[in-house]
Amino acid sequence: MGTKKFISVFLFISFMILPVYVSASKGVSAEDNKLCLACHSDKTLNKKLMNKEILSLSVNGAEFSSSVHGKVSCTGCHPDIAMDNHPQSKIIRSRKDFAFSVSRHCSNCHTASQLDKRQPIHKALAAKGPCIECHGSHYIKSVAIGKVDVKENTYCLICHRNKINMSMKNGEALSVFIDEAAVANSAHAKLQCTQCHSEFSKTQHPVRSFGSRRAYSIAAAELCLTCHKEAAKLYASSVHIEQLKGGNTKAPACTDCHGDHAIASVKKDKAIGVVSCNKCHSDMNASYEASMHGKARLKGNEKAPSCASCHNAHNVESAKMTTKIKDGCLRCHKDAAKVHSKWLYNPPIKLSSFAKAHFDAVSCAACHSPGAERAIYLSLYDRRTGKPLTEEEILKTLGGPETEGLMARIDQNANGSIDPKEMWGLFAQLIKKGVITTFTGNMDVQKATEAHMIGSKAEGVKDCDKCHKPDAELFQNVFVVVKKADGKPTVLKADKGVLNSIYTILPVSKFYALGSSSVELLDILFIVALLGGIAVPIGHLSLRVITSPLRALRRMGKGGKK
Amino acid sequence: MHPLPIRIWHWVNAFAFILLILTGAQIKLGNVLHFFSFQTAVTIHSWLGWVLVFNYFIWLVYYLVTGNIKIYIPPLNHPVEFGKKALNQAKFYGWGIMVGDENPHHSTFYNKFNPMQQVSYLMIMVALIPLQLITGLFLWDPHLFGPVVNLIGGIQIADLIHILLWIFFSAFIIVHFYLATLGHTTWAHIIAMFSGYEDEHDDHGHEEGHSHGEKSTGH
Repeated sequence: MGTKKFISVFLFISFMILPVYVSASKGVSAEDNKLCLACHSDKTLNKKLMNKEILSLSVNGAEFSSSVHGKVSCTGCHPDIAMDNHPQSKIIRSRKDFAFSVSRHCSNCHTASQLDKRQPIHKALAAKGPCIECHGSHYIKSVAIGKVDVKENTYCLICHRNKINMSMKNGEALSVFIDEAAVANSAHAKLQCTQCHSEFSKTQHPVRSFGSRRAYSIAAAELCLTCHKEAAKLYASSVHIEQLKGGNTKAPACTDCHGDHAIASVKKDKAIGVVSCNKCHSDMNASYEASMHGKARLKGNEKAPSCASCHNAHNVESAKMTTKIKDGCLRCHKDAAKVHSKWLYNPPIKLSSFAKAHFDAVSCAACHSPGAERAIYLSLYDRRTGKPLTEEEILKTLGGPETEGLMARIDQNANGSIDPKEMWGLFAQLIKKGVITTFTGNMDVQKATEAHMIGSKAEGVKDCDKCHKPDAELFQNVFVVVKKADGKPTVLKADKGVLNSIYTILPVSKFYALGSSSVELLDILFIVALLGGIAVPIGHLSLRVITSPLRALRRMGKGGKK
Repeated sequence: MHPLPIRIWHWVNAFAFILLILTGAQIKLGNVLHFFSFQTAVTIHSWLGWVLVFNYFIWLVYYLVTGNIKIYIPPLNHPVEFGKKALNQAKFYGWGIMVGDENPHHSTFYNKFNPMQQVSYLMIMVALIPLQLITGLFLWDPHLFGPVVNLIGGIQIADLIHILLWIFFSAFIIVHFYLATLGHTTWAHIIAMFSGYEDEHDDHGHEEGHSHGEKSTGH
């Protein structure tokens, strides 16, 4: 490295920078600035703007001198002001307007190409807002110094404490303003910005673009996964992510429930399990508040079950396709099986597993939501994998026109209800295609709103006859449930006879309720067998009576021989 | 001819079977039958089901310990002869009994069953009753036996087997009772099932009543 090269670099810099510097400081003199400050050091000096905002015109001379522009004359940045036309009665609409107009002069020295080279995001930012909004005006510190000295968060906040926006492709504006106080009170108060926003640092600020605010929120969920692995794993099996994957962008991602920067600690925010759900599921709130659980919460019992207590916080479950909701109930009612087995048992032994046999097929709400309308839901599963078969998969497997929809394919007689033969038809067709299915049955309340109206213990169903007799009261409504790819279940009406038909023994082989789901044909067979059983002795006896003279004759013959 | 453990087993079985059939009918046909309430029917059915389970072991242990289980085993080494005997037995019930022929089978302690009885009782004792008891157990607690129930295809399949056997046993027990009246007198077999021995009535020449039957009962 020769001195030659050093000199050439020095000369280059000198020739490039010097003219700029000279032009900015043209006519600079301590005298000029003193002249301005003679008036502008007055702290009360201000101007009333058109929109009635007050713009302070006061400048602290000492502080200005120690700023990066300390050597620049006032007119270097305010070239439109000269002694011969000042003070002028210039009309300024607003502070913002003023900020834009003075910021225009920054580019006299700080050219766009120069800024772009240093930090690509700067170009995008500079296009949107006045320079002074981020950098301040008279007391600007060198950004280079800032980078070295300030803490990372402070560095980010140099810009992000301002009300700046990010433009989305669809024209929406996403605020990237950070409320410092809110972050400081959040569960993430001690985190560095870059711990979540890992693509960013003091030196890196990639320019990104998103289709919409919603697309940004969904993508932002990725940031949470870095730390919250356990929650992420649970969330991955939720009905919400299934809906997101299925194209329903309204389905919630992390920030929809937890917020973004003002994230509350779940330990402190006992209402998150209700409030965040109500953003979408507000129709459930009234019935929840009418329940034992809601009432207890309204009375101030923070431990009273919230939505998340039963539906889970992250692996959120819809009641339609699962019996897992009761796991939520059982988290608090740990001894539920034992308590039920006090009266719900098969003699001679009181086993809690008998109560569990009921829990396997009956939702808690089905017995504990007084007055709710109940129904039997037969959910379609792949027997081998144990996973729900989606409507789309079934239509694909069946082949033929997919436009018809599943119900049209099952409901051959088009009466709007699946009868036993039609159910068998679907089952048999799928078997032919190599897919073995099973309709898992469970009893639940029909309306989701009613499901939440959990009553007191005394109001629970205890009467066996409500379910366990032919044509039982609670077995009047039967539905077939098929999951859709987006996670939402399709509920198809079925005849109540699908629970009592010889056709459905195989398809519904895993669901059975004593009395109410028995096969009617077997009742007939029973009668036939009984009649047959009676007919045999009667027939035989009649023949014996008719033939008794034959025997009498023979006996006489024998007797004669004797 | 009928040793005490077997007589106890038989009558416990008979009592339990009849009540199980009736309570079973009540459980299944609650809309037309009103002998018991559903709960009472289930309670009786469950208790008696367990009685039947233990009773089955009385039978099994008795016959295994005494080795007399062989009375249930058809002579598989002489299938043709056995077939002929069975045919003769069927002929007797269909015709011979009408015209006053002698029962081709003479029941003894060591050869209690005629060929038709042998086949049907073997099936009943070794296959049907165990199957009925096992499927009954599945229905008694579907959760406890869940994994096994799933193996056979689901609780509906267990129920199907249980119901089909219920139908069979219902018809069977009627015929069984009628056949029991076909001794040398109407009550002879039935009394024997209580007393343990059957009177010999050679002059009527119908069936069994051979003295070694009496001797072997030993009480």
